[in-house]
Amino acid sequence: MSQGGYIILAIAIIVVLLVIFVVSFVLYRRTPAPKGCEHLHAETEECKGCHQVGCQFYAEYHETKPKEEDKK
Amino acid sequence: MYAYFVSFLLSIVTYLLIDNVVLTRFYGICSFVGVGNKVKSAFSMGLAVVFVIVFATLICFPIYYYVLVPAGLPFMDTVVYILVIACLVQVVGFFIKKYSPALYKSLGIYLPLITTNCAVLGVVTENSNSGFDFGISMANALGTSIGYLLMIVIFACIRMRLDSYSAPRAMKGVPLALITAGLMAMALMGLTGLGV
Repeated sequence: MSQGGYIILAIAIIVVLLVIFVVSFVLYRRTPAPKGCEHLHAETEECKGCHQVGCQFYAEYHETKPKEEDKK
Repeated sequence: MYAYFVSFLLSIVTYLLIDNVVLTRFYGICSFVGVGNKVKSAFSMGLAVVFVIVFATLICFPIYYYVLVPAGLPFMDTVVYILVIACLVQVVGFFIKKYSPALYKSLGIYLPLITTNCAVLGVVTENSNSGFDFGISMANALGTSIGYLLMIVIFACIRMRLDSYSAPRAMKGVPLALITAGLMAMALMGLTGLGV
């Protein structure tokens, strides 16, 4: 195969990976959690020092903790 | 063949203990400190990391050597690796959520965290940058991921014991955890003289 062919193959792989990611992301979000696992959550007490804003636990921590502190 | 097998085993031992991913190379520290406070959580996270690192290596190796290098695009490796890792985590997460409630209960909530775990990207990048062949790449993946699992479980065991002792208020929690990690790293430094 020529170098041009390999470049097209590389672009095709990247596009396929993007499509797989989007499809699996949508399917993951639409799939309901199994029975008994609806309210699973990680130990978020250590999340205050982490700045991974894309992490679901970061959002979970910053949504719940300030409200609890406000009540006090 | 025998010499290659010995080299494979020695590579696993090297990446497992001597060149440990967390305590020597400082990859994956965020999840190491964040999740390493309970043994069960730490074990689940470690297992998920083992799974993703091994499969990411299996997928990324042929893409790099049989597509990116012949195409003259080896500099695109990081983009492709990130996509592969993100896809792998999403697809595995979806199948676990849909078909295996028991596995979802133990692993499910930690799978999204692995996308941001730099240990996974570190292993696949090192494999291509160092020019490892497939066997040594797999040894790197196995040794690194099992090393992560081992260290996070040991760290969680130590932290659970430390929680039962009284410590100065300023030292409780993360400060004590970081000192513990430092002492563990020093202990592992003692193995560097092995010269494996």
